[in-house]
Amino acid sequence: MDCMEATHDHGIWKHWLEAHGPKLLLCARQWTRSLADAEDVVQEAFVRYWRHQRHLPGDPQALLITSIRRAALDHARRQARRTAREGKADGGLEERECTFEPQPGEDADRRHEIEAALQRLPAVQREVLVLKIWNALTFEQIGETLEIPPNTAASRYRYALAALRKELKPACHG
Amino acid sequence: MDESLQELENELKSLQPRRAPARWLNQINRELAAELPASTRPRYASATNLGSWKWLGWRTAGPAVALALVAAVGLVNLRRPVPSEVPALLAAAPNPVTPAAVPAYVPVTASNVLYDLKDEGAVQGEGEALARRVRARYVDTYTWKNPRNNASIKWTVPRDEIRVVPASYNPN
Repeated sequence: MDCMEATHDHGIWKHWLEAHGPKLLLCARQWTRSLADAEDVVQEAFVRYWRHQRHLPGDPQALLITSIRRAALDHARRQARRTAREGKADGGLEERECTFEPQPGEDADRRHEIEAALQRLPAVQREVLVLKIWNALTFEQIGETLEIPPNTAASRYRYALAALRKELKPACHG
Repeated sequence: MDESLQELENELKSLQPRRAPARWLNQINRELAAELPASTRPRYASATNLGSWKWLGWRTAGPAVALALVAAVGLVNLRRPVPSEVPALLAAAPNPVTPAAVPAYVPVTASNVLYDLKDEGAVQGEGEALARRVRARYVDTYTWKNPRNNASIKWTVPRDEIRVVPASYNPN
């Protein structure tokens, strides 16, 4: 790869990350205990991907999400070992954080309501929902990422939506 | 899927994930930049190539400074009244300094350290295109050495570099 090409390649990935970083972070956040952990695992997975897999054919996002999930599982295992070693009680407290970007003219209460309802979903349903809605993966790709059959992914998605509908009042339009 | 689920799905899709922190993006960019071999790094990121146009000025700067010093000393000496009681000393004085005797400083190293990279937000690019302005802050260090006596000059200069990069928006 010549100089121009390498620089161009670097620039392209830089812009790609700027555009897709928020979705990847949201995705990683489903498998980590804090936003800081999510940043760490996405960074680790992205740099590894960029180093070894960026020339592979296929959708980079789907490949990266699989890589992020693995990095998150490794991270969780390391964290669990450390917690056990240090004898710390796992309080299970998650930092309160905003998952979505505030939009001009939006109903902030509604956004908080949705965020809270998402947090209450079972993790296996929430991860499918996040992959489908905000990462636009197909059920096939979700199945590959989570190592479950695509039909299971589809049914978890429907359960998640149904559970959210129960929790949330319909949005008022106008 | 029934209509109310469809409606909920659309409402969820309208929410945008929180923006990635600039600090985090910069950290990854630095890591990627470090992965590039030195010869393939962007030209603006390094001035270590002695063949670079940046050296055109610096190459001549060492001898020029030395020449100016010699000229200034010479001028001061010319204007100073010569004490009449030391003609013998004057007669014994060495030959005046010629340009050939000026120590030749040659550039030996140039390095730069990127210590801050900041995304300053969206700006209007060429025409209607949106762009983002990124400010990189460097400290450049240049060293010249005189091979005859091993004397060296080191010059450290802070430098801000502003890049305007085209921004793309992909709603999917």
